[in-house]
Amino acid sequence: MTAPLGFHLDASACIGCRTCVTACKSKNALPAGRDYRRVVEYGDGSWIPDPEDPTLLAPSNLFAYCLSIACMHCEDPACMAACPTEAIQQRPDGIVLIDSARCAGCRYCEWACPYGALSFDPSTGRMTKCDLCADLIDAGQEPWCAASCVTRALEVGPMDELRARHGELDALAPLPSGDQTRPRLVITPHRDAQPAGRGSGDASNPERDLR
Amino acid sequence: MADHPERDDGRPFRLDRRGFLKWSAVAGGSALGGLGKGLTLPGGPPLPWDIQEPGEPAPGPPLLEGGEWIPAPCWHNCGGQRCLLLAYVVDGEVLAVKTDDTHPDTAHTPQMRACARGRAQQGQVFAPDRLRYPMKRRNWAPGGGRRELRGEDEWERISWDEALDLTAAELERILARHGNEAVLELGSTLRRLFRGLGGAVTNWGSTSWGTWLDTGPRIGLGDGLSRTSHNDRLDLQNADLIVLWGGNPAWTAQGNAMYYYLQAKRAGAEFLFIDPYYNDSAMVLADEWVPVRPGTDHALALGMAYTLLDEDDPATNPLIDWDFLNRCTVGFDPEHLPPGADPRDNVRDYVLGRRDGTPKTPEWAARISGVSAPRIRRLARRMARARRAALLTAWAPARTHNTDSWPQMFLTLGCMTGHIGEPGRMTGVSCWERTADGGPFLIGAGRSGEPPAPRVPRKTSARINNSELWEAVLEGEYTAREGERREVDIRAIIHDGASALNQVSGLLKGIEAHRAVDFVLTLNFVYNTNARYSDVVLPVTTQWERHSYFKGNRDHLIWARKVVEPQYETRDDIWIAQELARRLGMDPTDIRPLSPEQEEFNRLAGAWVVSPDDRERENLVRITSDDIREMGVQGEPQEGRISVEEFRRKGIHVVPRRPDDGLGHVAFADFRRDPEGHPLSTPSGRFELHCQDIADHVRSVGFTRIDPIPVYRPPAEGYEETFEDFQEGIKGPHPLQLITLHYRRRTHSVFDNVAWLREAFPQEFIMNPVDAEARGLATGDAVLVESRHGTVLRPLFVTPRIMPGVVALGEGAWADIDPRTGVDRAGATNVLNGDRPTGQGHQGWNTCVVEVRPYRGPEPLKADWRQPPRTPKGVAGP
Repeated sequence: MTAPLGFHLDASACIGCRTCVTACKSKNALPAGRDYRRVVEYGDGSWIPDPEDPTLLAPSNLFAYCLSIACMHCEDPACMAACPTEAIQQRPDGIVLIDSARCAGCRYCEWACPYGALSFDPSTGRMTKCDLCADLIDAGQEPWCAASCVTRALEVGPMDELRARHGELDALAPLPSGDQTRPRLVITPHRDAQPAGRGSGDASNPERDLR
Repeated sequence: MADHPERDDGRPFRLDRRGFLKWSAVAGGSALGGLGKGLTLPGGPPLPWDIQEPGEPAPGPPLLEGGEWIPAPCWHNCGGQRCLLLAYVVDGEVLAVKTDDTHPDTAHTPQMRACARGRAQQGQVFAPDRLRYPMKRRNWAPGGGRRELRGEDEWERISWDEALDLTAAELERILARHGNEAVLELGSTLRRLFRGLGGAVTNWGSTSWGTWLDTGPRIGLGDGLSRTSHNDRLDLQNADLIVLWGGNPAWTAQGNAMYYYLQAKRAGAEFLFIDPYYNDSAMVLADEWVPVRPGTDHALALGMAYTLLDEDDPATNPLIDWDFLNRCTVGFDPEHLPPGADPRDNVRDYVLGRRDGTPKTPEWAARISGVSAPRIRRLARRMARARRAALLTAWAPARTHNTDSWPQMFLTLGCMTGHIGEPGRMTGVSCWERTADGGPFLIGAGRSGEPPAPRVPRKTSARINNSELWEAVLEGEYTAREGERREVDIRAIIHDGASALNQVSGLLKGIEAHRAVDFVLTLNFVYNTNARYSDVVLPVTTQWERHSYFKGNRDHLIWARKVVEPQYETRDDIWIAQELARRLGMDPTDIRPLSPEQEEFNRLAGAWVVSPDDRERENLVRITSDDIREMGVQGEPQEGRISVEEFRRKGIHVVPRRPDDGLGHVAFADFRRDPEGHPLSTPSGRFELHCQDIADHVRSVGFTRIDPIPVYRPPAEGYEETFEDFQEGIKGPHPLQLITLHYRRRTHSVFDNVAWLREAFPQEFIMNPVDAEARGLATGDAVLVESRHGTVLRPLFVTPRIMPGVVALGEGAWADIDPRTGVDRAGATNVLNGDRPTGQGHQGWNTCVVEVRPYRGPEPLKADWRQPPRTPKGVAGP
């Protein structure tokens, strides 16, 4: 496949189950502490006296949705631009890869990526990230995240096809605007979706560490 | 939405780029400075399992060549649909695990995809804290030794011979001195052994089902597991309204269930969730969410029933399906009572207040349930006016103390609105493996052919209800039936294949009970709570190390098999039973009369699938003489739909489905059409809204009583008990209601030790901002949660998604009691849930009142995934 590939995420179907996260960890033998794919839960809401019964509290503007994200294999990858050793390259099919022989572990790419897609491997001193299961793609198979999704919320395919079927929306709060790096991502919004950069809520995963 | 630099309330938008990256870095872990051994957070221990050593190159994704994909069992009581795992095995090592890709994935015939737990299965089978060798507690001696050290003692590795000799000797001593009634068996893998010895004391009682286990079948609805009352997943798409009352399939029925509900939504169904928590299922499905206080569902339903009676007018505003009530039920009004019933015991008069002087108005119901009266009226109208509604409930609302009448109240609403027995219309339980797909199975495995155990006279018939279990061990008495208490003197506790100490209410009392007896034995594959409080631990194989495995659901059957040889010195439970049998003078072949190969063949040969033409069963598997010879078994060739080779390779057969394929199911369709010709298996042949049977049964158990009609009684440790004075509205010392959720990290207590899952799911304590702010608490704080029965310590997660007054914690975490303070640091919910015998002898895990306060040390609480695995002290580690 040489047509640029990317993701479709149906945010109206993502239940935040982390099956994709775990399938990816399994495929890439990632230890606890490093994830290529992550799930963010975003939402807000408060409780106010119920207008119909002020002795009770009722939810106000309560909403929540989940987004499963990894590397966006962007059209304009910030990581590639930031890398001082040209360790990051992009294939004709859009897959962005790190050549660990060239990687100096400076972590500039980690800072540059608006999606937090790159992670540092302390045992090798190199950067790592989602490679869209390039080995499976080359064998005509699906990346494990998409193949694993139990609500079929995640899809990988040629971007022009995905955009034709699902539209052009490439960001939702709390993701950054797609204007920055032009991610190869199209999202079917959740019914309570909020626009990137103008969301009223918070990323609300349980904290991974205590205060 | 216009562009604003800050929100309407003046707070800056929190998730700017820096904020998003901060979240992302925490999630990814990398910005925390590395996590290899030696590169730990200040003060933290080295991290467990699959963290690489510094300087060691990361293993990287394995190269998949030279091996084969083997169907691997996913054997858990997960409530899910039963999913296919395939393990890539090279030279006895599992390099990768994938899920079903055996057929193209379509909406009607989807792949049977595994969840995060199935995908993390390697982390369980090859865990560093896998039990490897038989062990004996250092300070144990026959008779108990220093029994008070159980749970805190050190361990010694011993040989299998020593372990089995020691176990047999102690069992023999106890049986001879104290009799069979001194041995309490809390699992089942040694069942044939104990039966052969004349029996042992066992435990009983509804667990997952709550009060559906005994009430459901007697009122005509079934328990939701062995008998379902809902329609199949394709018919579900015919519903206009789907009510999920107390269910969260996104967490508790993983696999395809949510996919089936999403398909129904896309086909036009609106979803109404009634639940204390705006859970992840509601997040994607709900058109409306009704917060309701735990344990008050019955009251809410009564308020709805009142509305229907109050507003129904058959001519101008028909809300009640009188035809269905009259033809298909008994008990609704005095004209339709079973013979011999007290005429005052009818639902209509109870709801209207004619029976007890209290009309169950929406105002009455609002005070208890927390749902406003106008909303209760709207709910009732919505349910009644829907043309085709699926009124579905899970078992959670029934896992509440003394709510044996709740299933009958739920059925009452279904009967009043008539949403039973037609396409798109159904009333009943939709949970566990039967979520979203009800009806008789289309495919199944054959029987193993295991002959019955030889008949040996029983020397004990004692059975102790779960909610009295630990008390019985400590006090020497239990309830045999109404009005009859019996003595019992338990000297040995045997944990053969269940997780009773962690999973039965009253965990602290359970630990006391374990420290009271002479001998505690555990068979397990990880160092879980049972193992920790034992004297002798025997390491067993997992399903990945055993011969074969058959499991399926309505439309598919999985045939998986041994993936790797038994790890370390683990052995099968059956081998252990045989070895103990030999030492105790029994014939070991009584334990396993058939070889595993023969049992596998029998199940294969007997496997059946339904023919779409006549819905009769036919053989699934075509078996040739060559197959029989290769498998080394006894049997006859037979015709069938698929070959042995194909079934063995794929590991699964899925029955293709399409709308109108003749394989669907509409529950009670024949009954509705012709109740006389197709009676239900209830005494009246109809749905029993007056059911003497369940009232008599509950009474016979001997704990509490119910009426034959669904009378509301406040559940013990329910909403009313958050008050010191309910009438005056004065809150008591435990003003919050706790619900204990089926948590995604685990299947009950299984998987709790797996690093990937501990990382993804932190066992957070969930609380509403109103309650948190009132206590000066915020997300990330460590908090102490106290009930009447014990205290746990957890990280707090504040979210508006749970209603005020209600808090939540996942059940199944392995207890980790701090010996100095008695506080459980892991968040084991059975420390909070007390043993409380009520009703049919179920456990009321969702009725518990608590208070929450900040934890101020001395030792800081670390996130679960940063803690080292719990390994037996004294024995050499991995």
